[in-house]
Amino acid sequence: MSSNQCINWQGNLACIQQDGLVIKSRHTIDGNHVFGPDSDYTTLAVSGLSLLSEESEINSVTVNGNIDKLVLQACGYLVDEDGEWKINCANDSASISISKDVEMDWEVPGEETDRERYNLIKNAWLQEMNAVSQGAFVSEQAYRSGAASRMNFSSQQLGDIRIWPPREMIGDQRPVDAPPLGQSGIIESWTKLSAGGAPSEFSLRAPILGGIGTVFVKLNDGPRGVFLIADDDNSEPEIGKLVSFGLRRIYAQDGLIRYGLKALIS
Amino acid sequence: MVDVAVIGAGQTKFGNHALGLKGMWAESAENAFASIDGDFEPSMVDEAFIGSIAFGGGQIGNTAALLTEHTGMDNIPVRRVENACASSGFAFRDAWMAIKSGQADIVVAGGIEKMNDLTPERKRFWLGVSGDTEWERLAGLTFPGTYALMARRHFHEFGSVHDDLVNISVKNHMHGLDNEYAHIRKDVSFEKAQNGFMVADPLTLYDCCPTSDGASTVILAADHVAKKLSEDPIWVLGSGAGSDHLALHDRPSITQLIASQRAARSAYDQAGLDASDIDMAEVHDCFTIAELMATEDLGFASRGEGGLFAREGRGRRNEGSVTINPSGGLKSKGHPLGATGTGQVVEVFKQLRGEVESSRQVRDANTALTHNVGGSGATCAVHVFGRDLK
Repeated sequence: MSSNQCINWQGNLACIQQDGLVIKSRHTIDGNHVFGPDSDYTTLAVSGLSLLSEESEINSVTVNGNIDKLVLQACGYLVDEDGEWKINCANDSASISISKDVEMDWEVPGEETDRERYNLIKNAWLQEMNAVSQGAFVSEQAYRSGAASRMNFSSQQLGDIRIWPPREMIGDQRPVDAPPLGQSGIIESWTKLSAGGAPSEFSLRAPILGGIGTVFVKLNDGPRGVFLIADDDNSEPEIGKLVSFGLRRIYAQDGLIRYGLKALIS
Repeated sequence: MVDVAVIGAGQTKFGNHALGLKGMWAESAENAFASIDGDFEPSMVDEAFIGSIAFGGGQIGNTAALLTEHTGMDNIPVRRVENACASSGFAFRDAWMAIKSGQADIVVAGGIEKMNDLTPERKRFWLGVSGDTEWERLAGLTFPGTYALMARRHFHEFGSVHDDLVNISVKNHMHGLDNEYAHIRKDVSFEKAQNGFMVADPLTLYDCCPTSDGASTVILAADHVAKKLSEDPIWVLGSGAGSDHLALHDRPSITQLIASQRAARSAYDQAGLDASDIDMAEVHDCFTIAELMATEDLGFASRGEGGLFAREGRGRRNEGSVTINPSGGLKSKGHPLGATGTGQVVEVFKQLRGEVESSRQVRDANTALTHNVGGSGATCAVHVFGRDLK
């Protein structure tokens, strides 16, 4: 397949054909695809599946490689040993294929990234995995119970009002479960926090990235939310600008990488 | 119903303290006891409420019992009150209610926080504990970020600009310059504040209050006791409080604090006053945008005109109808989270009695207001004071 059939999809490079797709990180070092500052095989897999699901029905998937199955389930995919679609992680490249039959691959040029910065981020993630909470934190139980909302905008409804994040209301204010919200919205405000202004969960990576960007978004379906900017993109947000969303790593703590939707600025 | 007065108030200097919790509380309580005009003994106190978020986790449980045992208030009912940065504003309200209910005649309200004996890592953990942990903190927000989102939205909706915030910063540093209890006593020029290090765009270092150690103590008394123990009691004319959604995303607007508006309305109604009757106000300027919004929420400026209010210097000492933050506010005086609310009352007590440094005395001040906000506005306590009963 030629690279001109590949598209930029949620900040990644996706090459799709009739019986599957290959999705790669857009970042490269010496031509080899490497993960971006908040990406891994799991984020690539979810991104690839979301593109594939626009063309094909995805009933179940089988995972070969280092992919967090909880995340796939939270995003609405059934993970099965004999799944219809096979997700294969490349051994030495930030690349995966999703297909029904054979493993696929093809060359697509990426953007060369700074090797030193890449190594610093990679080491920071390794250190962060061993970090232990010193106070306020989201427990693994709370993280898992909110996963479908955090990773797939699963929502609630009360009358005509869509609700996200989910609320635990009582009486006639109790909402019912509703389908996931659409993954698009408009920036209502934004900020970029300096390394010193960021929560301690981000203290190892924020200095390397030069701070972290956050946007306050009104989703097209109604609810508002606060989101980190995906890929630690340095592009300047603007009030009124459209955003879409992609799954990314948020932070690691107590040996667990926490994922969530981040904003992709149009 | 019984009327309630403040008969004594004192505090430590806010800033970096060598003293720990017990030492700071003892100093603060001693200063408060010494400010009482009549014959007073700590054993006369019926009950005590002490605000603190127990920053750093050093003494989370039974803080109040530990502190009061060191200041001669043995065996009385005590408790720690926690409502983030509004902890002692609510401790003060609890003390006021204890007297109003007839259950107590003399009650201590205070606050304390030790913030600067922690590693930077641990401090950053604790600075974010009062926001929405699951959704905002996971999106990388601490309070500088939360208030930065509010500021940029206010700029967008109402045409306020960062220079309006700079004016607030310069004013509060000027007010705090001669305050012996203030954490940061330095004159800050407009140009310097305009070009500060960016903390959370658009907020710079000069838009953010410092993290401070400190304690504050206030003694409240029922009217029949107050008249015996004080030659010049400061009357609590109104007490109001409110709350709001914790997370910004659940609020209909992020350019106003509904909790502040509700608390203010309740306090004004009780006092039979409105904003135009207030001579001075200690407002919760944890960030300069918070003061800008407070001037609107408390009724000193119309909605959307907080920027103009700051631009015209209407909150400067003795220059407009109301002086905003004569102590220097959180920006200059400092912000030891749990101690801030009753620290505001200490300033009001001294200002209304004409006991502050002459260089920073608000002239002819007869009425005052305190405004103490928890976090990004999930809680708020507002109190109105007067030299005279209605």
